Amino acid sequence: QQSLTVNIGSSHPEANIWVYAMKNTFQPEVNRILAENGNEYQVNWVENYAGTLYKFTDTREAVMDGIVDIGMVGTVWEGANMPLQNVTYFTPFATEDHRMIIEIFDDLSENLPELKNSWAENGMVHLSSLITDSYDIYATFPVKTMADLQNRKLNAPGTSANWLRETGATPVDGALTTYYTNIQTGVTEGTLSFASGILPTRVYEVAPELTRVGIGSMYFGGIAANKDFFDGLPEPVRTAMREAAKATSIAHGDYVAELAARAMDEMQAAGLTVSQLPDEEKAKWVNGLPNIIEPWLEQTGEAGKTVLKAYFAALRERGATPLRNWDEGL
Amino acid sequence: MSTEDTPELQEDRFVPSFYEAPYGAVLGSVAAAMSAVGTASIGALMLLIVADVIGRNFLDAPITGVSEIAARAVVAIVFLQVPAAILQLRLTRADFLVRRMQKFSPRLVALLESLFCLAGAIVFALILWASWPKFLSAWQTAEFFGVQGVWTIPTWPFRGITILGCIVAALAALYRARVEIRSIGSTA
Amino acid sequence: MTTLTIGFILIALLIGLVLLGMQIAYALFGVAFLGIWIIRGNIDLSFRMLELTAYSGIADYLFATIPLFVLMGLLVSVSNVGRDTFEVAEELLRRMICGLGVATVAANTIFAAVTGVSIASAAVFTRVAVPEMTRHGYRPAFSAGTVAGSSVLGMLIPPSLLLIIYGVLAEVSIGGMFIAGIIPGLMLALGFVVMLIGITIAFPDFVLNDPDAVRERRLDRDFTPMPFKVLILKLVPIFMLVVLVLGGLYTGFFTPTEAGGIGAFGALIVALSRRSLDRHKLWQVMKQTGVISVSILLLLIAASFYSRMLAIAGLPNAIAGLVTDSGFGPLGFMFFYAMIILLMGMILDSTSILLIMVPIAAPIAQGLGIDLMHFGIVTVLAVEIGLLTPPFGISVFTVHNTLNDPNVSVEQIFGATLPFIAVMLGVLVIVALVPSTVTLFLY
Ligand code: NA
Ligand code: NA
Repeated sequence: QQSLTVNIGSSHPEANIWVYAMKNTFQPEVNRILAENGNEYQVNWVENYAGTLYKFTDTREAVMDGIVDIGMVGTVWEGANMPLQNVTYFTPFATEDHRMIIEIFDDLSENLPELKNSWAENGMVHLSSLITDSYDIYATFPVKTMADLQNRKLNAPGTSANWLRETGATPVDGALTTYYTNIQTGVTEGTLSFASGILPTRVYEVAPELTRVGIGSMYFGGIAANKDFFDGLPEPVRTAMREAAKATSIAHGDYVAELAARAMDEMQAAGLTVSQLPDEEKAKWVNGLPNIIEPWLEQTGEAGKTVLKAYFAALRERGATPLRNWDEGL
Repeated sequence: MSTEDTPELQEDRFVPSFYEAPYGAVLGSVAAAMSAVGTASIGALMLLIVADVIGRNFLDAPITGVSEIAARAVVAIVFLQVPAAILQLRLTRADFLVRRMQKFSPRLVALLESLFCLAGAIVFALILWASWPKFLSAWQTAEFFGVQGVWTIPTWPFRGITILGCIVAALAALYRARVEIRSIGSTA
Repeated sequence: MTTLTIGFILIALLIGLVLLGMQIAYALFGVAFLGIWIIRGNIDLSFRMLELTAYSGIADYLFATIPLFVLMGLLVSVSNVGRDTFEVAEELLRRMICGLGVATVAANTIFAAVTGVSIASAAVFTRVAVPEMTRHGYRPAFSAGTVAGSSVLGMLIPPSLLLIIYGVLAEVSIGGMFIAGIIPGLMLALGFVVMLIGITIAFPDFVLNDPDAVRERRLDRDFTPMPFKVLILKLVPIFMLVVLVLGGLYTGFFTPTEAGGIGAFGALIVALSRRSLDRHKLWQVMKQTGVISVSILLLLIAASFYSRMLAIAGLPNAIAGLVTDSGFGPLGFMFFYAMIILLMGMILDSTSILLIMVPIAAPIAQGLGIDLMHFGIVTVLAVEIGLLTPPFGISVFTVHNTLNDPNVSVEQIFGATLPFIAVMLGVLVIVALVPSTVTLFLY
């Protein structure tokens, strides 16, 4: 029997939606598969979860540089180095079905050369997709009309800042870990976020008004392996990891669904007020947005066009109807 | 107002004259210039935050990106100021033992001090070595922070400040080491 | 050799180098670099972690608080706000036993709310309070000791650099730490007042050169009181700054960083309006701000690198295991930890103690179910005692240097601060035993 040491880690704690399945599905699945296949290899996991080694701004570099061998990579924070992965953030109001996003990106990251190469160029191998459930507004105030957003400061991490354009609200960067204090100390008055992320961070305590908007589920990033590390693994271990990654994707989708449902129950029990943005107001938002995909298309060129077309084709193929056809005219 | 300077404001003169120490004079001037830029950045940071607070609360015009810019500015301020801090011997340390030893064996102290300075030069050389590739790639790939379509700022100037700071800091530490080693010779 | 053994050896190496007098940032960087290299057997990894830490370790809005509060403290120091506060306190407490001592504590308490460093308080009040106390019959050494002792309030009553540094290292809200420090700070101030009065009654010779003259002055009814208008005018600037900073923080109107920016700007306006600042002096203040800030910020980068090395070594986890197995319990751990800090406080400066200890101890405390803000105030109180304990007591040194009086030796000042240390120990024990002293305004 051969023993392998694998450093696995994340900027976020184990309970976090993107880390949960790494710890609770990926690791045990790899162990299980290897044991079943004759116990020839055994993995000795060295866990570095919860940001003990690096902050959320450094998830790509941490895996790329081999600080961990396998890690959660938030491509959402990598607009400069991995822009292609952020296509969902430039095409809001596409679908609220997060399992669909997982399915699409597990497929495209492996089979669309543009995406696969982008991971390879950054020294990584994509194993499993990480997503968010649909984005809504958690704030200190309810949003009944678009006018309610005038002159508000909302946390809108990274590229999601674009969704607030022409709404009169000011986006403030941040991460799940910063919303609570941001809102509590008045840096912001709310955040664009999703139920499964808000529950564990208790943001609803300081932002008790949820306005359901349905901005959509987003591709957040992936569980990825350092490429040199992965290529150097024995073939059976690689296969086991690939298989475990598939199980991880499913577990991740289930966990997010379950957590989102539970989150809504628990948050409302804790005093969260839920209202719905009326359809005509939502239509104003969708159609009032400038063509936010344009700078992304300029930055990513032909590869971007290919990814956008493939993504929207996959959406429609699976029965989704994006509220705005961001791929129009390509 | 009192005319005498308060002790916490006493200025450390660390730029020697060019005739006495040409190397130290040039290095000191570069360090002083960098430190002045860093100092000015602190003032700019204060004004930026005040403008943001006033804009947000009274003019309905918050400034986008203040926290991100402030975050990067903090790192820049450190690397701009560090060479001057080294030349002014202002890096924090517990020198109670050294001050005691000074009475009995100034040569040993000077030797120890020069070793510490060398260690400092090595530390900054290590950071330089580690940071150089990222600076190059940030330059080549036009890496930015911020949000496409909202506001973006290239990262290379910030990475460049780290590089510049490390180079001058390492040289400053080496210069200090030379000063200490010479003092061994002179007390011999 | 296990990773853990290596971890302990590295900590011993770190403490050894720091004691020898190596610049603490160099020691932290060097030891952490070696540590990662040895533990992971990969020098590349050391380089990469080093780069990551140098570039983004302190790239956070919160760290901007440090230069801003340093700037504010220095601006307040040059604008004679400390002297005015003391004069008002002196006037109001004229009839009190040990009135000038109590006035020093009172002025220090108020001044603490606008400065983030004890050294600033120590320097300002040495110039303001010691001559006045000596003139009125107090022993010079006792006067100096009173200034040194009460200067520690600057670090406990927010804003405080130590609270910021702890908040950063333990990853707890800095705004929260500021609020947490208020009650223990006031307890300390009150404790000092009670102690001063008690000691003056019990041991007048320890306090006074000429007890009769002091009593006479206290009971003297033939003096011209300070006009009310003057009194108010002297208090307005500091009052405004306190309201601006603490009020802004407490209401959540400002983040700590914003409070720093606004506070520094407010102090600038105060200094300019009192004409205590010309262009040359402003630039001097700015430069000092830069030098003081960089020495702290560089330390924080280095500490961040060091704590990542500790995480790789698995040290906090392992020690937490030892603590749990030993059956120490949270309280036992806290007192043991406070003891270590008190010992370190005799030879190391406050920042270094925090940098070395908090990354190891905070995860353990959290594991034991100790509230991290409570833990932080206990930490800072213990660290502050070190400002006064020989052989290395920076507040005492500052007072001694600023006073520059050949008749008052360092040893005498150390002696005079002993009652203050006793009060601090008392408050430390109370705060450790009663967490609500910290958390009352918090949750
Ligand atoms: Na203070
Ligand atoms: Na001490």
